Amino acid sequence: MTFITVLITLLALSVVTYLVSLINNKLGAYFTIVTSLVTLLLLFLLKNSIGQLASISLFTFKLTTVGWYFSMVMVVVYFTSAFLNPFWMKKMIYPAAYNLFYLVSLIGTIGMFFARDFITLFIFWETVVWTSTFIIQMGKSRKSSYVYYVVSAIGSMVTLFAMMLVYQVSGTLEISVAFNALTGQPVLALIVFFTFLLAGLSKIGIFPFHVWLPMAHGSAPHTFSPVLSGGLVKMGAFIAYISVSAFAAYEAFSSSFTIMGIPAPIYIIMVLGAISIVVGTVMAIRQDDAKKLLAYSSVANGGYILIGILLFDQLAFAGGMLHLVSHAIASATAFITIAIVAHRTGTTKMSKLGGMIHKMPITYTVYLIAIISMAGIPPMGGFVSKWLILQGLADHGLLFIAAAAFFGSIGSFMYVFRPLSAVFLGQLAPKHENVKEASIMMQIPMYLLTIATLLIGVFPKIILKVIAGIQAEAGIQEIVMVGNTIVVANGVLDTFRVFVVFGYGFLIALVIFILRRKSRRVTLMDTYTSAEFVHTPELLHYSSNFYAPFERLTKKPYPVLNLYEKVSIKIKEIGHMAESLFSSPKPAVTIFWIIIVFAIFFLGGVL
Amino acid sequence: MTVMNFVYGFIILLAAFIFQTTITGFNRKVTARIQKRYGPRWYQQFLDIFKALRKSSITHGWIFDFGVIMALGGIMATVIFIPVAGFEAFPNMDNVYIISYLLAIGMLGMAMSAAGSGNPWASIGVSRALTNMLAYDIPLMIVIFTLIFAFDTASVSEIAAMQQGMGILGWNAIRMPLGGIVAFIALFGMLGKKPFDSFIAPAEIASGPMVEYGGKHLGFMFILHELMTFIEVSLILNLFFGGGSSILVYAIKYAILYTLVNIISQVMPRYKIDQAVKFFYRVPLVFAIIQGLVVIFLGWGVSVWF
Amino acid sequence: MVLENQDNRNLWEKIGDYFSANSIWMKWYCTGCGAIELPPTMTSRFDMERLGMGPMATPRQADVMLITGYLSTKTLRRVIYSYEQMQDPKYIVAFGSCTINGGVYYDSYATINQLDKYIPVDLYIAGCMPRPEAVMNAFADLISMIKKGQANGWRHYQENYEWYKKNQLDSLEEVIIHDEFHE
Repeated sequence: MTFITVLITLLALSVVTYLVSLINNKLGAYFTIVTSLVTLLLLFLLKNSIGQLASISLFTFKLTTVGWYFSMVMVVVYFTSAFLNPFWMKKMIYPAAYNLFYLVSLIGTIGMFFARDFITLFIFWETVVWTSTFIIQMGKSRKSSYVYYVVSAIGSMVTLFAMMLVYQVSGTLEISVAFNALTGQPVLALIVFFTFLLAGLSKIGIFPFHVWLPMAHGSAPHTFSPVLSGGLVKMGAFIAYISVSAFAAYEAFSSSFTIMGIPAPIYIIMVLGAISIVVGTVMAIRQDDAKKLLAYSSVANGGYILIGILLFDQLAFAGGMLHLVSHAIASATAFITIAIVAHRTGTTKMSKLGGMIHKMPITYTVYLIAIISMAGIPPMGGFVSKWLILQGLADHGLLFIAAAAFFGSIGSFMYVFRPLSAVFLGQLAPKHENVKEASIMMQIPMYLLTIATLLIGVFPKIILKVIAGIQAEAGIQEIVMVGNTIVVANGVLDTFRVFVVFGYGFLIALVIFILRRKSRRVTLMDTYTSAEFVHTPELLHYSSNFYAPFERLTKKPYPVLNLYEKVSIKIKEIGHMAESLFSSPKPAVTIFWIIIVFAIFFLGGVL
Repeated sequence: MTVMNFVYGFIILLAAFIFQTTITGFNRKVTARIQKRYGPRWYQQFLDIFKALRKSSITHGWIFDFGVIMALGGIMATVIFIPVAGFEAFPNMDNVYIISYLLAIGMLGMAMSAAGSGNPWASIGVSRALTNMLAYDIPLMIVIFTLIFAFDTASVSEIAAMQQGMGILGWNAIRMPLGGIVAFIALFGMLGKKPFDSFIAPAEIASGPMVEYGGKHLGFMFILHELMTFIEVSLILNLFFGGGSSILVYAIKYAILYTLVNIISQVMPRYKIDQAVKFFYRVPLVFAIIQGLVVIFLGWGVSVWF
Repeated sequence: MVLENQDNRNLWEKIGDYFSANSIWMKWYCTGCGAIELPPTMTSRFDMERLGMGPMATPRQADVMLITGYLSTKTLRRVIYSYEQMQDPKYIVAFGSCTINGGVYYDSYATINQLDKYIPVDLYIAGCMPRPEAVMNAFADLISMIKKGQANGWRHYQENYEWYKKNQLDSLEEVIIHDEFHE
């Protein structure tokens, strides 16, 4: 089976889905589940034909391990969040278009990951950007989709510039070959490195391009937020991967100034990653909207992934690649659970929720496991990847980046705990007395993702084998596993043992607990209130200003956003000026200005 | 992984509990003497724990129970991984990141259970505890990071073994004095001793996370607190004060370190939580970074003195 | 009220009572004037921690509640609320003449006269107010009572719940509107 067959099958299926959705949109939504499942199966079968070349008209593809890896992550996220689609069809303005775009963006990501030349890469990249822009627009606010589009467009246009620059020098568009022409031209290589990476940085939400993430994630339709955070953000990681593997940034900048063995240009990007960890963490702690909180956490985790991939060695690279999967799954799970809460209660504001555990215990448990992974606590997937990254940083001695990584990982305890406490625990408001647990259909993706998180956490070998393949493909030292143990230069980790010993400890505690007298069940309102009688559950629920002391400490205005606002005001003003010049009510003025412009244009040509 | 590993693990657990609870009881006497009191019996802490386990209890739903069990389970698992004077129940599992992150699952369990009680004070306490953790952990982790870089291993027992044989001069706290100071200060934060005890402030927020616990849940919390203290003091002792070549030396050093922390904390006032964050980011963080730069760029204190 | 004086505890209960007797955590209900006698009892002059006693933050954690003086009807409602939040076995020590017979407030419309009509008092300390010496003496008595299994007020409260509730209702009257202003 060739890649082209897969691509055309998917395209045909998505058109079928669209046509079905026109007749019955709920059935169409079920078609999105089926189509993404088919994609998952087809991609899985493609594993055997890695190395295959394919082309159709202008587009050329090459099946690589890394492309397969990325697209598997993507399809898993698409497939699992597709289960929510049928429940949101009523709320969409254009349900049929949503279903179509949902699948087309999936195809776009797959095409992009397997692209062999720049044009294919760029066109499929833009396909994803356009389709997701239209989907985000169907959510809460239009402004966020503009911001998303503008940031994406800036990124992709700059990257297009880099591609053209490389093409001019090398005369070829093939990704793996084109960059070779840059050797011996350090200045050009520098320009290409920064410009090429920009699309990736803007997509993964690295500081200072992170502004779109909370806006887009927060206001996108609840069904698409998991895809945005778990999936599409990771496209940026792929660009980062190209910039260190195909571009061979370490060799290109080998003569430049190095910091702890890292060439300065790469170090600068890593510092940006570190800054986004800190900014993402601080902002996530301050959010009240659960979706925005998770979006900022994506910014922070994007920083980890970027740092890991850019280090491009045995340890941290494997960590970054693994973090890509573990965060994709954990973040998708968290967004799905929040989406379900929003579906049942109608809000994602944490201060308006509370006590959901008594109504949705399964959703709670799933969210709990997701956040344990997201915070990097064993025995879940996130721990293994963070461990690899931290060990890798210690191996290199990158102190400041490690400091940011520590900040992010301790800070993540804070921000993941807040929805746990404010949404699921605490007092149940009387208005939520009749909230129901997620339906079976919604529970399926939660189970699948939870099992995946646990599997990665306990047996990381499943994923690390593939990562070792990627490392072999990229020509760097492979990550070594002996049995279940990850063995690296400065440490060993046997996650299975950690899991078993945790189970052992849990068992001992459980036995002691059961041996003691049974507890009496009391109501939530029967709680210590300094003997004051309180009858309003909302008053006893601590959810707004959760980290008040910390918020006081970080109350400084947010400089990047201000800067962006100022820039956008200026651009608008220039636009207004141009508009007033050219479209004045008197035609004579307009013609006068057009002549002036033409005159300057021609004069410029002569001079 | 054989049955013996689990038996050894259980022995470590039991020994850690009995040892630390005795030390706590002893320190209650020390505290009393500082305050010119006679103080309780040395086994008072045991009596308190068993009495709490004896009493009846209430529950606010399954998460209230589950969180407590998960907390104690996670902490017990962490204790099993702690190397004591070179003795490990599970060999090669004493990675410092495993210990410090597995500790977090216990804390998460406790936080979850506390917030599950629906009491606002519990949630405030948890929010303070997490903020406090953000304060002390970053300087400490940076120093530990420096150690891992310097000795090229993240194994607690190996780092401890490397410091032995040179007497007091081999200790990381002496070789890397700024790092030692940071670790010692961070130990106060980890243990929740004054001046960083605002998350359990009994008079302000009614003992914070512990507010709704009574009976066996409270007993669990006390056991958890003893074991957590054991983990934290052991971690600092192994990483910065040379661990111990034999169990006896280890126990004596442990008792001295813990008592010293206790004595100092008894004459301290209490920081507000944002003051604690500010303090940790002003003094220990700067110390930690300077120490890190000294070790990474100058290599002082790694293999030889200067 | 005469507390039953027969010892029919089994071995486990005896061991449990030994722990209970030697580790008593207190919840102070200090709306009365006797609270001022407690700091000296706790600190270096008398040091009640010798007996294994110490203050605790909430009634859930505490074993003994100290009612340190007169109780107005308004505070009685809260005392009952707190008492019912405590975990078994639990004890009440009442301070001063006000809790015995109303003391100087015997004819006040706002206070209750006899505390053990409303909640079971294990031990009274007479005096106005009892000095730390008396308080320490009382605690020693409480400990020996618990050891012998005689401090059974909490059991008595469970067995005669209707009688206590009726007394409470008679004195406090039923609250019809349940909100923050009426109780």
